[in-house]
Amino acid sequence: MSIIEARGLSKSFMQAVKEPGLAGAVKHLFIPKHIEKIAVQPLNLSVEAGETVAYVGPNGAGKSTTIKMLTGILMPSAGSISVNGINPYKKRMENAAQIGAVFGQRTQLWWDIPIVESFSLLKDIYQIPEPVYKANLDQFTELLGMNEFIHLSARKLSLGQRMRADLAAALLHNPPILYLDEPTIGLDVSVKQKIREFIKKINQEQQTTVMLTTHDLGDIEDLCKRLIIIDHGSIIYDGSLSEVKSRFARNRVIFFQVGVPMPELYNLLSQTPGMKLDRQNEQEFSVSFDRYEYTASEVVSRVMKHGEVIDFRMEDANIEQVIKAVYDGNLDLNQKGE
Amino acid sequence: MPVVKLKKYRSIANRSLQNVLSYRFSYVVTFLSNAINLLAVYFLWAGIYGGRETVGGYTWDQMKTYLLVTFLANSVLSWYSETAISGKILDGSVAVDLLKPIDFQTARFSETLGTSLLEGGISTIILVIFSFFISGLALPHSALVYVLFALSLLGAIAVKFGVVYLAALLCFWSTGSMGIVWTRIALTNLLSGALVPLAFFPGWLERTALLLPFQSIIHTPTMIFLEQAGTLESLKLIGIQCFWGAALWIAGKFMWNWAVRQVTIHGG
Repeated sequence: MSIIEARGLSKSFMQAVKEPGLAGAVKHLFIPKHIEKIAVQPLNLSVEAGETVAYVGPNGAGKSTTIKMLTGILMPSAGSISVNGINPYKKRMENAAQIGAVFGQRTQLWWDIPIVESFSLLKDIYQIPEPVYKANLDQFTELLGMNEFIHLSARKLSLGQRMRADLAAALLHNPPILYLDEPTIGLDVSVKQKIREFIKKINQEQQTTVMLTTHDLGDIEDLCKRLIIIDHGSIIYDGSLSEVKSRFARNRVIFFQVGVPMPELYNLLSQTPGMKLDRQNEQEFSVSFDRYEYTASEVVSRVMKHGEVIDFRMEDANIEQVIKAVYDGNLDLNQKGE
Repeated sequence: MPVVKLKKYRSIANRSLQNVLSYRFSYVVTFLSNAINLLAVYFLWAGIYGGRETVGGYTWDQMKTYLLVTFLANSVLSWYSETAISGKILDGSVAVDLLKPIDFQTARFSETLGTSLLEGGISTIILVIFSFFISGLALPHSALVYVLFALSLLGAIAVKFGVVYLAALLCFWSTGSMGIVWTRIALTNLLSGALVPLAFFPGWLERTALLLPFQSIIHTPTMIFLEQAGTLESLKLIGIQCFWGAALWIAGKFMWNWAVRQVTIHGG
C-alpha cells in the first residue's frame, strides 16, 4: 500500500458571480448567484514511502488545493484519501501528528517570541521525547546554519532565515511525510541551496516521503525523481523526471567558436535535415539538433573537419522549457514521443 | 494520558503570555488607557449621583464598587483575545493551526488564558491604586464571598470566551471582522450589565437579559461581590455560569466542525 493514496479526489467551490458595477453589486446583495468552480478534477495519486515528488503546474492549477486536502485542512468534495492509513480529513489530529508541512507564504513560528521557544512549544505539542528533540534541534541548527538567529523572534528574521526555521519546525517530530508548498519562494541562491541539501539529506537518512509544489525548476531537478504536472485541475503528466526530459527535452544546442569563418560549412549545415544553424557573428555560431537523430560527437566532428575549433560548449534543453511549453498548452504530454 | 495532553495546552498558554509580554510599550499604553477609561466612567457616574441617594436601587458606594468589579471582570478577557481568533481566520493562518495535532478551540482558550493573566494582573494593579483614593467602597467582609467571587470570575472568563469564540467563527463567512467584533462588544456590554446594571433596565429587558448568557460575564460577579446574592443564590448563579460556559463550548465545537467543512480558508 502506498503511503499517500488518493482515489477520485476532487474539490469544487461555489464562486459568487456579480454583474459589473455598483448595480451588479447591489443585485448580488439581494439575489446572490453562484457558480460551481472545479478546482481539482477527480484525480488518482499514489506516492510510495521515501519518494520525493514534485507537484507542479501554473498558478491556479489546483496544486495547493490538492495539498490542502492531503494535509486534512480542506474537505474533499468527493473521493477518498489515505495517508499512512489515515483519512486526513476525518482524523485531522492523528494525521497532523505524522506529517510536517511548510507553506512558503505562511509561518508557523510565533511572531514575538524567540524561535527556540516556538520550537520547544512544538516539542510539547508533538510530545517529542527530550533526547530526540535535542538531537534533531542540534542537527538542524547546524545543517541550516540557524545558530545566528535561533534566539531572535520571528519578526526580526529575514525571509531566508524564517524559511529555514520553518523547515526545521516542520521536521522536529520526525514526520514520515513532509509537504512543502513553495519552500524556496523568494529566496536567494545560497539559501535555496541550503534548503535543498537539507531536504535531500532528511529524505535519504530518514526515508521521509516528500511532496513539494514549486515554481522553481531548480527545486525539481535537485530534489525530485518523480514529476506530476497538473493543469486546469487535472493531472496531465505523472512519471519520472528523466522520462519527461528524454521525451520532450530532445533539443540540444552546441555553441562553436572557430578560428576562421567557414562559409561552406555554414551552407552544408543549414541544408542538413534535423540541424539548425544560428550564426552569432563571423566566428561564432550554434547548431541545434535532436539528440536522438545525431550524437554530439557527430556534430562536433563534422564541424572540426572544416577547420580549427577554438572552443565549444553544449546545452541541453532544460525541464523549464518543457514545462513552459506544457503551461502554454503547446505540448500534449499524453501523446507518445515520435 | 490526560497529563501529557494538558501539557501541550499549558505550553501554549505560556508562549501566549510570553508573546504579549514582548510588547512592553503596548502594555504601558494599555495600562494608561484602561486607567483613563475607568476614571471617565467614575466621574460620569459621580455626576449622575450628584445629590442623589440612590439610583435604581444602588447607593453611590455600591455603584463605585460595581464599577470597579465591572472593570475587573471586563478586563480579564482582553482586547487581544477579542481580535486574535477572528484575525487568525481572516488572514488564513488558521490553516497552520489545522496542521497541528491540537484542538483548535482548546488551543485558543489556552492562549486566551495566557494573555488574561497579564491583563488581569494589570487591571488588579489599577484597581488597588484606585481603591486607595476612593472612600466608602462596599467591600464584603466574609472570606467566603471572595472565594465565590473568584469562582464567578473564572466562570465569567469561560462564558465570555464562548461568546468571543462563536463570534470569531462567523468570520469564516465574512471578509471583515470589525463589524462582527463591534456588534458583539455592544451586545455584550449592554446585556451583561457592563454599561449599566441590569436592574436599571425596563422589566421586560431585564428579564430577557437574565435568560441570556451575557449576564454571566458582569452581572453575576457584581451580584456576588456586592452581596446582593446570598451564598445559595451565589452558588446557583455560578451553576448558571457553568451551564452557559459548557453550552457555548459545545456550540463552538459544533459551529467549528461545520464551518471548517463549509468554508474555504482565506488566502490561496
